[in-house]
Order: sequence, then structure tokens, then C-alpha cells
Amino acid sequence: MLPHVSRTGHTRREVIGALGTGLAALACPTDLKAGTPLTVGLTPVFLNSDLALLDGLRTYLKESTGSDVQLVMRRTYQEVTALVLARQLDAAWICGFPYVRHREALHLLGVPLWRGRPLYRSYLIVRSDRTVADWHGTRGDIHAFSDPDSNSGYLATAALLAGSGMGIGEFFRSSFYTYGHRNVVRAVAAGLAQSGSVDGYVWEVLREIEPEMTIQTRVIRASDWQGFPPIVCAAGDAASPRADRIRSALLAMASGNAGRSVLDMLRIDGFVAEPPALYDSIAAEVDLVDARS
Amino acid sequence: MRLSVRIPLIVAALMMLVGAVLSERVMDRLTQTQDRHLRQLGETYIDGLSFPLIPALIRDDVWEVFDIIDRSRSLHVGLTPIATVVTDAAGNVVAASDPDAHPTRSRLDPDFRDSFPADEWAGPSHAESRAFLRRELRSQDRTVGTVYAVLDTTHSVRERQTVLLTLVATNGVITLLLAGGGYLAVRYMVSPVRILTHHLTLSALEGIDPVPDGVVRRSRGEARRLFRSFNRLVDEVREKRDLASRLAAEERMATVGRLASGLAHEINNPLGGLLTAVDTLKRHGADPAVRERSVDLVERGLLGIRDVVRTTVLTYKVDESHRPLTGCDVSDLAVLLAPELDRRSLRLVCDNELPGPVGVPASPVRQALLNLLLNACAASPAGSTVAVNVRREDGMVVARVDDSGPGMPDEAVDYLTRGDGKAMPPPSGRGLGLWVVRRLAKDFSASITVSSSPLGGSRVELAIPVAEEVKHADAA
Repeated sequence: MLPHVSRTGHTRREVIGALGTGLAALACPTDLKAGTPLTVGLTPVFLNSDLALLDGLRTYLKESTGSDVQLVMRRTYQEVTALVLARQLDAAWICGFPYVRHREALHLLGVPLWRGRPLYRSYLIVRSDRTVADWHGTRGDIHAFSDPDSNSGYLATAALLAGSGMGIGEFFRSSFYTYGHRNVVRAVAAGLAQSGSVDGYVWEVLREIEPEMTIQTRVIRASDWQGFPPIVCAAGDAASPRADRIRSALLAMASGNAGRSVLDMLRIDGFVAEPPALYDSIAAEVDLVDARS
Repeated sequence: MRLSVRIPLIVAALMMLVGAVLSERVMDRLTQTQDRHLRQLGETYIDGLSFPLIPALIRDDVWEVFDIIDRSRSLHVGLTPIATVVTDAAGNVVAASDPDAHPTRSRLDPDFRDSFPADEWAGPSHAESRAFLRRELRSQDRTVGTVYAVLDTTHSVRERQTVLLTLVATNGVITLLLAGGGYLAVRYMVSPVRILTHHLTLSALEGIDPVPDGVVRRSRGEARRLFRSFNRLVDEVREKRDLASRLAAEERMATVGRLASGLAHEINNPLGGLLTAVDTLKRHGADPAVRERSVDLVERGLLGIRDVVRTTVLTYKVDESHRPLTGCDVSDLAVLLAPELDRRSLRLVCDNELPGPVGVPASPVRQALLNLLLNACAASPAGSTVAVNVRREDGMVVARVDDSGPGMPDEAVDYLTRGDGKAMPPPSGRGLGLWVVRRLAKDFSASITVSSSPLGGSRVELAIPVAEEVKHADAA
């Protein structure tokens, strides 16, 4: 079964956050939280909030953890990140960029495997009828970003420009945020923006399920491979049984049929445990951009 | 054009006129309704956009504005926005449904902006199948942006065309049906008139004919009454014609009877003397003196009968009509009239001035004079005088008859002298005498004058033109 990317666009953020829950529970006395549902935050890093996907994910987590699971969706990365930092979520699927920003306060529970690796890339796309040869040709564009807290939908391009000594405001005539990778593709396809920064994983999945949209766009630059958006919990919850249950559920996802069907919808191979060093390249970008500003 | 065609054509023309007026009204109302409906839809569309657009504009959220426009396009049933553009307060495009035509962050195309009305709504421009709607978006008394929407009205135009076609087709069919029905109805209604017209036309050529019973039986209502009245009229006309011909036959018989009676009388007068003479001869035939006297008497009697027969034959002999008139003809009148004169004890003064044959036909003139004289005798009292004078005068033969009666009635004078010459029946109680005179006078272009006679009664003068060739022969 294919993962369904919603055409309405606002939900993709939520799926991501969903997986992170468990750690927060550790920091608390277990009795206090025992019996309350596990909360997992999702953000639009992912595809849209297909109801079937959310149901499948919730059902899988519930069965695997033995607890009720509540999926919490927010519009921006920032909101979900804030919730997990405040330990209001047991786990959250966030982007590598906020993880790097808050590496001390967050703990990795699992990283998705995509095409066999826990890595993905950021794409710089333009409309397919444009003749620009490389990213230099997008100077003066109106540019569509996904989210200011997204690595692939913002930071990667900002770092690319910073590496050439330029800021976003100098290079692009104007830019805006669509708060969704699919929206970036829509904006570029419709001509609202002349170019856009998008999650390579999302674009590739869209190419399978909505080829009529992606065919109107063309990738003119792919970034280096970087750590896939992880599922995290607050560092204080890292040792909690709740976080532990979520971590176990994630890592075991590929081994059962229920988990496999959810992974099929997400077009990923499974979740693995990775060291924080996976995100060093993103941390380097952050440093690069911060150094310019 | 025939009535059965003309009336349906008039009906059809009126129907078309009514249809055209009604269609125009319907289309006008439909256009107004559609315009109102479209405007309501447009307003709803803009209202639906306004609420989410205002916060997005305040945040200058390009994507949100585009997303709202893009998704609202398919949300309004019956409304097809062709182009929707949202500008910020400064008039720069924030987002448009077609970013290629109206790029984000550019100035709004002045041509596009000017195609919108000063007020919010510009009704559908039918030529282009477009309607234009503009709305300022305000928040807390400040303008935060403007929405421009161009709506597709092709659907309305097509609907109007369909309605118009339906109207025209319906009116056409109804008009045709009414015209056809009208043709049949009028044809049915005027069929009695056509039958009557046919019969009347025939009557002028071949004699009047009633409408056949079968046709009358098949007809109903007014037509039936009309046919029956016509047939009664035909019966009456036929009866009158039969009666007239019977009367004419009877009149002929009466004339023949009078003639026969006159002849019998004329022959009977000398017959007594002749038989007496024959008896005398039988008994005293040996006496030469008696024989001679008796034979003489018989001879005179036979001569008298011969005269009567001769004049009668001359008078009624048809092939005598071209014989010119002579003095003898006038003298014959005295012979013909003798029995009547005797019966009424009248005296005839015959003044015959005719020199020899003159160029007028003898027979008709004799008949005319005989009739005039008979009338004169009838009018004159016993013992009085009747006079006749015939003479030539300026290329005419003038015959004058005087009587001693009380004068001809005005009615008879009028009948005799009136110049219209129609073969009208004689005035009542007059017999056919005057009619014969008048007809003869007309045939030979003669003029008739009536005046007072020195004898105390009427004087009738008949002036007959003399034919040219006889005049020459006469002169020679």
C-alpha cells in the first residue's frame, strides 16, 4: 500500500513527530505517568497526515507498547520541538536541524532507514521548463522554503549560499515559507515561486505517487547525504520506560507485518539506532550559517 | 389569397409576434436573474476568500494566500473563477491563481486592474463571457489588500442560448400547429360558403341548382340552415320561372284565340248573305236576273272573305317582315279593324298619305299600328271617332293614331315613351298591345310620343326612320 500524500497539504508535518515519545517518561516518576497515553508529536517533515497512515501508526505503537497512543500534530517544527523540549510529549519526529540546535536537551530514539541508509538529501528545484544550468541561475528568484526549522527545506540552501558568501536576502529577490515540503513542490509547479528547497525524500516519494505534480519540477541541485530526520525525546526522559517502549517499538517495526505495512506507507525500510554524530554535517551547516549572520 | 390560407397566416404571424415579445421578456428576466445569481455566487466566493485571506495578508504569507485561492477554486459549485489575484495594500501582487500571468511581488498589471469597475461588481460582459468582481479587504478600518476575481459566465451564456433555442423551437412548433389547425378549422368553416359560391357561379351559367341532399345532410348547424335557406330560394326562383313561362304560353294561346275569333267573325259576317244567295239560287236560279244578283252577291261575299284571309296572312306572315310598307298596308288596317269598329259602333278616319313603298318594314309597322288602333278603339266611347294618319316626313314615316277616349293613363304613357327599352312586362291590365308596340319601336329605332288629340282623347305618334337604300330607290 502506498503512503498517501494528502493533497490539502497541511498535515504532513504531523507524522514525523509521532514516533518520538518514550523518553520523557524516564525523567518522571513512572507512577505519575503510568496509565496516561503515550504522546508522540509529528511535524510536516513527512508526507501528509493520511488518516490511514496515522491510524496504522497509532495502532502499531499501541500494540507494540501496550499503551494508548496519542499522536500530536502541529503546523511547524518549532511548535513540536518546543513541546518535546518542554517534555510535554513522550517523543517527537523532528528535523535534524532542530535536533542539532538542541542536541544537549534531546535524545535520539531512532532514525529512519531510507533506501537502506539513515540518510537523505535536500533538493533545490525549479520548474521543469526553466533552462537554468545550476543553482547559480536561481539568483533573483522568488524562492519557496518549507520551514525555517527544516534542514532540507531551508538550512541546506542557506548553508549553500553562506558557503558562497551570500545571504538568502541577497541572493533571492524574495522568499516565503510554505510549511510543508509538498507545498514547496506545488508552489514551484504553479509558478508562485521560481525555485524551492525541498526534502529529497519527500520529492522522491511524490514522484511515485503524484508524478503529474513533480513532473512540472526539476532538481537542479542535490545536497550531500545527511542524517534523516530523527525521532527524539527530551534528554531528561531518555531513560524512562515510556521512551524505552517507544524506542523498542520503532526498532522492531520492520520485523512484524503490522509495522511493515506502516513502513510501506511511509516508504521507509525501518528505524535504526544511530549516534548523534550522524547529524554532524548538519551541525556544520548551522555553524556556517550562524557564522555569516 | 383564399380565406383558409389567409387566416392561418395571420394567426401564425400573430403567434410569432407574441412569441417574440414573450421570448424577449423571458430572456431579459433570465439575464437579470442570472446576473443576480452570478453576483451572489461571486460575493459568496469573495466572502469565502476574505476571512482566511485577511490574516494571511497581515502576515504577508504568500503561500497561505496562494493556497487559499488555489483551493477555493474548486469549492464553489456553479462558479468558475478564471483568474483571482490578491494584492497587498500597496497594490503589489501577493499571489494569484495564475502566478505566470500575475507574478508574486510585482505591480498589478494596469490593464487588468482597469478592466474592473469602480464599484465592486461589473455584470457579465456577454461578448467575452466574463464577469468582474473586486473587493477591498479591510481589517480594523485599514485596507490590507484587494481581491480581484474574473468569473467565467460561459455557463450562463450557454444556458441562455439553450433557453432561447427552447423558446424559439417551442414557439415555432406551437405556431405551426396553430397555423395548421387554423387552416383545417377555417377550411371546414368556409366549406359551406365555397359550396354556395360554386352553386351560385353555376347558376349564372347553367341555371340555378340546389345544394344536393347528401351535402345538406352531412352539414350541421349554421351551414345546414344556410343550405336549406338557399335551397328554398332556389325552389322559389324555379317556381317563379315556371310560372312566367306558363303565363307566357297562356298569353300566346289567348292571342291565338282572339285572332281565331276575329277571323271567324269576319268570315261569319258575309256567310249569312252567301248562304241566303245560294238558297235563292237553288230556288230561283232559273231567273237570270235573280241568278245574276245572287252570283254577284256570292262573289262580293267571297271577295270579302278573301280580303280578310289575305290581310290576316300578310299581317302574321313571318317572311313578310322585310317587305317595305305601302299604302295598301294602311288600307288593310281598315279592313282588319272593321269588325271591332262595328262591334263598338266607331268610325275610322283613315288618312293615308303614303305615296308608294317606303323603306320601313311593313309587317311590324302594321302590327304596331293595329295594336295602337285596337287600343284606341278600346278607349273610345261608342259612336265616337278613331283616326289614323300615315305620312312621310323628313326621312321618317310618321304614323299617328287619335282616339276620343278619356286619355291614356300616365302609367301607360310612361311605359310607352320611356327610352330604356327593357323587355319589361306591360303595366297591369294593359294586355300585351303596348308591349308589342314598344318592342317594335325599339327594334326599328322608332320614337314614340304621346300627346292630346283634337278628337278629345290621346294622340300617339310613331316616327320610324326610313332605311337608306329604299330611300335611294324611292328617289330614283
